[in-house]
Amino acid sequence: MIAQSLRQVAARATIGVVAFLVVVPVLWTLLSAFKHTVDIETSPPLLLFKPTLENFLYVVERASVRGALLNSIIISSSSVLIGAVLGLPCAYAVARYPTRHAADIQFFVLSLRFLPPIAVALPLMVIWLDAGLYDTRIAMIVTYTLFTLSITIWLAIPAFKRVPREIEEAAFVDGYGAYAIFFLVALPVAAKSLIGAIVFSFVLVWNEFLIALMLTTSDAKTLPIVASELSQLGFDVPWGILNASVIVLALPPLMFLGVLSGFLNSFVKRKV
Amino acid sequence: MTAGGAEAFPLRWVSCASVRAGILLGNSFGLKAVAVKTGTRLPIVFVIPSMVVLGVLALVPTIDAVNIALQNRELSNPESHYVWLANFISLFGDRRFLNAMWVSLEWEIITVSATMIVAVPLAVLLFEAITPRARNALCVLFIVPVLLPRVSAAYVWKFAFHPLYGLAAYPLKIIFGRPVDLLSDPHTAMATVAIVDVWQWALLFSVIIVKLFETLPRQPLEAARLDNARTWEVYLFVAIPMLRAPLISLIFVKMVESLRAFDLIYVMTRGGPGVATETLDMYAYSQGFIESGRISYASSMAVLMMVATSIAFTVIWKCAR
Amino acid sequence: MKNMSRGASSAVAAVCLMSSALMVPALAADVCASDVRVLAQPRDGLTLLEKYKDEFKALSGASFNIDYLNENDRRAKSRADASIIGKYNVYYIDEANVALFASSKWVVPLLEYYPKEYDYSDFDPGRQKVATFGGAVYFAPLTGGTDLMVYRKDLLEKAGIQPPKTLDDFIVDVKKLNDPDHGVYGIALRGQRGSGANVWRWMPYFRGFGGQWFDGNKPVFNSDAFIKATQTYLELFKYSPPGTKTGSWDESTGAFLAGHVALLVESSPLAGEALDPKVSKVVGKVGYTAPPSPLTGGGYAHGLAIGTKGNKDDAAKKCAGLFIAWATSKENEKRRLDEGMFGELNRTSIMTSDEFNQKFGADLGQALVDAAKVTAINFWQDPEWPALGDHWGIELEELITGTRTDIKGSADELETFAKTLVAKRAN
Repeated sequence: MIAQSLRQVAARATIGVVAFLVVVPVLWTLLSAFKHTVDIETSPPLLLFKPTLENFLYVVERASVRGALLNSIIISSSSVLIGAVLGLPCAYAVARYPTRHAADIQFFVLSLRFLPPIAVALPLMVIWLDAGLYDTRIAMIVTYTLFTLSITIWLAIPAFKRVPREIEEAAFVDGYGAYAIFFLVALPVAAKSLIGAIVFSFVLVWNEFLIALMLTTSDAKTLPIVASELSQLGFDVPWGILNASVIVLALPPLMFLGVLSGFLNSFVKRKV
Repeated sequence: MTAGGAEAFPLRWVSCASVRAGILLGNSFGLKAVAVKTGTRLPIVFVIPSMVVLGVLALVPTIDAVNIALQNRELSNPESHYVWLANFISLFGDRRFLNAMWVSLEWEIITVSATMIVAVPLAVLLFEAITPRARNALCVLFIVPVLLPRVSAAYVWKFAFHPLYGLAAYPLKIIFGRPVDLLSDPHTAMATVAIVDVWQWALLFSVIIVKLFETLPRQPLEAARLDNARTWEVYLFVAIPMLRAPLISLIFVKMVESLRAFDLIYVMTRGGPGVATETLDMYAYSQGFIESGRISYASSMAVLMMVATSIAFTVIWKCAR
Repeated sequence: MKNMSRGASSAVAAVCLMSSALMVPALAADVCASDVRVLAQPRDGLTLLEKYKDEFKALSGASFNIDYLNENDRRAKSRADASIIGKYNVYYIDEANVALFASSKWVVPLLEYYPKEYDYSDFDPGRQKVATFGGAVYFAPLTGGTDLMVYRKDLLEKAGIQPPKTLDDFIVDVKKLNDPDHGVYGIALRGQRGSGANVWRWMPYFRGFGGQWFDGNKPVFNSDAFIKATQTYLELFKYSPPGTKTGSWDESTGAFLAGHVALLVESSPLAGEALDPKVSKVVGKVGYTAPPSPLTGGGYAHGLAIGTKGNKDDAAKKCAGLFIAWATSKENEKRRLDEGMFGELNRTSIMTSDEFNQKFGADLGQALVDAAKVTAINFWQDPEWPALGDHWGIELEELITGTRTDIKGSADELETFAKTLVAKRAN
């Protein structure tokens, strides 16, 4: 019994350390965002200093930040949504209706991501330029759909495979058609695993930089590009502004994911 | 496609061709046969749209990238002609390229294994020792690192390792009595950057894996416990094998993502010291856009990387199944 | 404007144009038909400029929009845009890119479109020289400078040393003042690989010892000057603070401003930063003078240039030229002077004005004048310079961090590389 609770304590302590390692850099960043550069570049690191709001004001006041935030939200959510709408059914079909080549389809989907972005940046630039859609959100959404679709299918196939056959067979006996089984049975049951896939694809496109740099100028600029803008001022790295930008730019996706996961959790609770 | 973009991209032709290719692909994958066998058209309806979209979006730029790799285009020169395999051949005589391949391989191995080694035990601990409510709060916390803008997070960590002012370097300074510069030592530079990568991804993975644990049926685990298996044995021999397929998928995803870590490494070390952390995608990027405008050379590197990755991953995939 | 459809926004622009034309008949036709798009690096001077959009609108009939990116991303994006996309009218370019952009015809010679009344000849001659390629001027400077020797007056006084005038004295003083146990290092150098990073700091030694990069198309840098410069640089690096081995401007000037360095030779904007209490801990303790001989000062400049692809016709180029002229005009520089932006001043008239001397001190002005006498263009003014410089930067970083030790071998390797660069050109 003592060994049991000792193990519990050890386990909790480990989690505590990990949580500490997550929290401390973020908290330190938050703290440094209130400092002038002169207080950041000191040794030993300072806890007491004269705070300033300048850095935050600089970040928030920049028009490019607001525009980029909106773009990122629209582009990321749209491509994740399209990826889910097209990808989840596809993954289900591959998982539940196996053909000889089911594994090959699965691998084919992943293999589309093997080509480094640098190589596709130039062709994509020319394609969108010729289509007259350079520097538009549509172009970015369509381009990012490749990533989200690929990841969603790849991660959703194992999730659907793990839905117990008995449940589906029972529904079939109850008279549900193939499509009904997908929407009303398989999807809710696999929902928890699917959340991982959706979150992953969101994270992937939210922080994507190279393609965004090459395919946008100012109208469809996304957040990572603005982050680049805030990482230099004159010749220096403006440490105060940089730290403030990390905090400000990280809040929206966090809130978005918080809302999304709350939403999905309640959806799951209702259905199962 | 010339640098001037004079030719209009044959969008309609390509789309029609891709739809046809998608259907052909679908048929060759046996979808029609399955549809006939099970009596519903669901496989076709669900799969074909995705295949078409993927076909158009992925194959078209890929073919164009290969096309560029076979030429000798440079950004500063609108004229170019086909040199076929000349770029690929000169790659193998390029010291920096060979170094970059090696560095990329090192980086892959280090980050993928470190991520899984940290993520899985962490997920086990989260599942075992924490109440579900606290667990949800911690899950949200653990996603924060991967949501930070990559460039900015890289700068923040680079500063944290600054030998004079950095918070992470400060304990080292106390232990060793003098400032320790981890990022300028070729032996420790890569490990230091890898720490940041693991900080971001391993925590995200642990959240995903915990959610997977939550979907496991209780009986097998309880049965194992009743058989007097110790906790770690329960997980190692029962829970994780049950999650084999999703875990393998995650590993593959991380393997692909590690190939794209260039912006993290670039900010923290620029590929240095020297070329100790210069990965293939970074070398390709600097050849294409920073040092010179040799996009054909960069493209050939990328194509080679794609081929190598495909072969390696196919082999691993076949073994893992 | 962003959320309107293109049709609606051009209708609005047309109405604006017509109304402004009606209101100011004396201004004849507006110079600018649409907003000027600028790609630049974040600078305080440009942020200040954005406050005066109305003034530019009244002047030209259109507004402007600046997109900012940090240096590396800006370089990559401007190359991609100049060669393929052509969305930007005005590019921010730096001295290392002028040769490439000019010879690839990505930018047009500036003076043709720079209205005379804005007085281009008022710019500091060193910067004009950097902006010139093949006899034509390509950009108007936003920032620039040369090298200054910046030192801690208090530390030198305490050790009873006069600011060194020659390199030999300089090395002796660096060693004497080096005191790591008390957190003071003799010098700060740049170690990070890059033609504008470690190579930039190393070049004054190379050129000071008589080295040359090229003679026509023949690389002639593999010489004693090269070896000696590298040996000196590596020797001095022993006295440079931690973090600089793989660091650049930010690390070495940061160390000085935090009070950890006694002497250093760096680009002139450091002087302005040393006077700013928000970034500097050594305000009031800093002295300036020209770099010790025989070091040459690295002349550099960044500025705005007219893009070829983005400006399809002459009218568009005139508009871009007007924007550049206005952005670098005497009035706007005066505003930057009023704000104390030392690193953003380029005009001789501004830099020799009384207000300048009042704000920054007469000894700084004198040091700049002295430094200007030894300023040279240290790098190879050629489109292939970034490739060559970056290659040497990698080898130099390896030498600094100890991954390689053979200086002569590195020089030979660089020469081979240079030959391949030139051979490609002949094709």
